Amino acid sequence: MNRLNGNISRIEVSGNLTLAHVEVTPQLVLKAIVIDTPKTAAYLKVGQEVVLVFKETEVIIGTNSQTKISLQNQIPASINKIERGQLLSKLNLRTITGELNAIVSTNAVKTLCLKTGDAVVAMVKLNEVMLQAL
Amino acid sequence: MIKLDINKELQAATGTMTLRLNLNIESGQLITLYGPSGVGKTSTLRMISGLMQPDSGQICVEDETWFDAENKINWSPQKRKVGYVFQDYALFPHMTVLENLNFAKAKNQTNSSISDLIEIMELGQLQNRKPESLSGGQKQRVALARALVQKPKILLLDEPLAALDSAIRHKLQGFLKTVHQEFQLTTILISHDVGEIVKLADHVYQLEEGKILKQGTPETIFIEQNLSGKFKFTGEVLKIQQEEIIGIVTVRIHTDVVKVVVQHEEASKLAIGDQVLVVSKAFTPLLYKIEVSI
Amino acid sequence: MNWEPLLLTFKLALFTTVILIVIGVPIAYWLSNTKSRIKPVLETLVSMPLVLPPTVLGFYFLMVFSPNNTFGNWLDEWLDVKLVFSFSGLVIASVIYSLPFMIHPIQSGLSGISRSITEASFVMGKSKWETLLKVQLPQIKPALLTGIVLSFAHTVGEFGVVLMIGGNIPGKTKVASIAIYDEVEALNYDAANFYSFVLFAITFCILLAVYLVNGNHFKHFWK
Repeated sequence: MNRLNGNISRIEVSGNLTLAHVEVTPQLVLKAIVIDTPKTAAYLKVGQEVVLVFKETEVIIGTNSQTKISLQNQIPASINKIERGQLLSKLNLRTITGELNAIVSTNAVKTLCLKTGDAVVAMVKLNEVMLQAL
Repeated sequence: MIKLDINKELQAATGTMTLRLNLNIESGQLITLYGPSGVGKTSTLRMISGLMQPDSGQICVEDETWFDAENKINWSPQKRKVGYVFQDYALFPHMTVLENLNFAKAKNQTNSSISDLIEIMELGQLQNRKPESLSGGQKQRVALARALVQKPKILLLDEPLAALDSAIRHKLQGFLKTVHQEFQLTTILISHDVGEIVKLADHVYQLEEGKILKQGTPETIFIEQNLSGKFKFTGEVLKIQQEEIIGIVTVRIHTDVVKVVVQHEEASKLAIGDQVLVVSKAFTPLLYKIEVSI
Repeated sequence: MNWEPLLLTFKLALFTTVILIVIGVPIAYWLSNTKSRIKPVLETLVSMPLVLPPTVLGFYFLMVFSPNNTFGNWLDEWLDVKLVFSFSGLVIASVIYSLPFMIHPIQSGLSGISRSITEASFVMGKSKWETLLKVQLPQIKPALLTGIVLSFAHTVGEFGVVLMIGGNIPGKTKVASIAIYDEVEALNYDAANFYSFVLFAITFCILLAVYLVNGNHFKHFWK
């Protein structure tokens, strides 16, 4: 699983749902939505150190910054290593906050002509990101 | 309420160890003592039941003082009358199942509680059998029923299900839960099985070297990664398959079997039989209503 | 034929065995439970008759019980009990001489019962006495039988102790083993053969019965 450390910088609550803004670096803020509120989960407070956890298979890869897309969790990265399988490939990515892995189809790697050193954007839906309190 | 404040020097394999416990157990709770062998779990049950004497401290149950080193109070096991299920079942080999239950009666007790227990624990067919002809799971049910004949307030279970295979274990966990509620027991269970503890226990004390290392609800003890995922189950690894790029782990959750995709490195850290937490965001699963056709 | 020595032999064996059950069970129970420091000493004393020549025991009984000495004198004067050259003296000496044959099997049987089984009985509110009677003893029936039969057979076969403490008083202390010796001395081989054959046949039957009942259990105690 991918893990990124950060601090909660903002919290939006509606009903039983909470949208947490997590500052990984000053330039990079990622969002996660959880079925909890500050009342039910003590860790939901500004300043709390958390880990963002998401699965490699949920990472979407784009070749440049995507603006016309519903995905707001966008992490600039460069490809460190590509492991090709017949159907699936694993991309090891280097970002300003550490390494990430993405598992995408081998076909997509071919279509996008991805190769080591390429600059890409790694994206993940906010409902796929789990929070782990530290 | 059981108040336990005991000290006891024990001879462990590694040398002398001091067991020092201070527990307050609410009535009606099912609590678990968890930890490696030789940390004093069984000794704790033995001291509560009066089979072992603490070096110092106090044991109070409700408003009775069972043990008080300073005031030289030490009730005998006979007087404490706890329900105790031993690790080796301790059934009387020369008596039938029914005789085992009858022997456990108090002097002026009627037979009605025994027939109830036979029904609850499904022992009807086994009544006239001797223990040696019973399977492990059947012995365990007899031992549990026997421990409840005198309607104790406290039930002590020393790894009752450790020697049983998983299907029977599941069934007996159900029995344990039923009798715990039905007889309004305060139950202290020694267990190594995380799945079992999560399923049964209200509160867990994790022991190490005679001391409480951690305590809390099973979730806080075992699901130490305080993950926000709401789709959360504990299960047992049945199979690990390494495919290209990914690994597929088959996990038994209660009686269902599911498959989870993981990375190779994650799969290599797992072994068959490991307890795992299967967790996902509540956003991911789909629900299908099961249409019942008549 | 004179059956008296044979009847006396079996009477002695019966009395001895009954007394041994009564005192053997508590001693074996104590030995199997105690953590006392004197346990090895007591175990040694119980086992002494296994290795000591019967004449040594007989000699000391004679010394202790003789009215010429303090204890024997006290018994004689205060309780009017004469243990030397009397049947009661024979019984007491036989009890001590056969002690290990009763205690060893029972002690071993009791120690073999898993601790949790007796503890299970305790937590059900059953006293130690009730637990011994209803839980422990019924489980060691083979050991009890072994103890009883060995003690009986051993008493039937004893010679040295009886000779030393009992002497050779017909109807009182002249048991079969002594009678055989007597008849041989008197060259009455027929009478000796009669006693010998009856003893042989009866002890053979008893032991055979035990082997048949207990299977291998018996062998552990026959050293």
